[in-house]
Amino acid sequence: MFNVLKLALPAIIPSWNFFDIIAPSPRIEFACWDIDEKPVQDWQELRPRPQSISIFTMTRRLLWNPRWNENLYLVSLAERHAANPTFHSEGEIIQRIQYDLIEGGQKGNQICLVQFRLMFVKREQNQVVREQHFLSEKHKVLLGDADVD
Amino acid sequence: MSIEAAVRWTEILLAIALIQQSLESLSSIRQLRLLFVSRLALSVLLMVGVATQWVLLGLVGVSLILLKAFQGPYNGGSDRMGLLILYCLAAFHVLPASPFKELAFGYLALQVVLSYFVSGWVKIVNPDWRNGRALQDVFLFSAYPVSEDLRGFANRPKLLLSASWGVMLLELIFPFLLLSKSALLFGLVCTAFFHLMNACFWGLNRFVWVWIASYPSLIWFQDRFVLG
Repeated sequence: MFNVLKLALPAIIPSWNFFDIIAPSPRIEFACWDIDEKPVQDWQELRPRPQSISIFTMTRRLLWNPRWNENLYLVSLAERHAANPTFHSEGEIIQRIQYDLIEGGQKGNQICLVQFRLMFVKREQNQVVREQHFLSEKHKVLLGDADVD
Repeated sequence: MSIEAAVRWTEILLAIALIQQSLESLSSIRQLRLLFVSRLALSVLLMVGVATQWVLLGLVGVSLILLKAFQGPYNGGSDRMGLLILYCLAAFHVLPASPFKELAFGYLALQVVLSYFVSGWVKIVNPDWRNGRALQDVFLFSAYPVSEDLRGFANRPKLLLSASWGVMLLELIFPFLLLSKSALLFGLVCTAFFHLMNACFWGLNRFVWVWIASYPSLIWFQDRFVLG
């Protein structure tokens, strides 16, 4: 109960310091191996943004934007996980990777090993640089209806 | 605007925001469906105005379970404002006498004013915001731009410098808009447009609906404490 009230407190006494500094920004990347640890998929960004979107899509997203809002949740999970790794944040990230792999067509009862890393992007002088902040263990993931190991 | 009218408008607008969020969550989050369905049903009741006190307490209960499930708000600032509105409305209905009710609803108005003023203050004390670099960085490498093409705005420093100062000044003058009815109305149109642009460029659509839901508290606060 105390923990829940602690989570609610920032809503009751908010800080409102939106965008006070532009901190390094996380990207979640993942890779897959088969059960014999042979590479199936090289490192790739989880949910990369599209090259462009139309004005119509922008307008529609005012009312309906579930995917992007889940992406924003992943960003805050990545920030939290880099600062303080927990089973909760790691599990949530792995679960979204699992769902995306299933939605991407990898169905059936195939098991694969999934690993993710947190890359942080920032500006140094006039260059954009990337740094790895976290590398997860390999998680056994069933690409069917089952859960994550 | 009377406090009863302002509270009712806030309930309706918050209900719309929560219905929108619940429908989005039901389509994208595979767990906790019963909670989101409950929140959806309670939000519809809130909009209609049935058993409002109990509905609000039910929504507070659901909000606490969701906070625990996600170990914090699912959508950062927009969820925090939604929770603040919800808790202030619940306090308004639960508290027995008028001064306490006014205190609960007035606290919401005060926090809305602070949400703009503090955001402006923390920006203007940062040299990167004053020279436009911060907004360039948001477009250049942050996770917010909704498409890669939008990152091209990082190459338009003069435009971003003007936008940075426009946003900072709007946020900083916001408390002073309470001194005049027409100024507040104009300010609310500007801030709603600001949230709309954030939704288009950065996909922050939930901010639009939830911040608009807080505006009736400002109109009442101005009538009651500034111009009254």
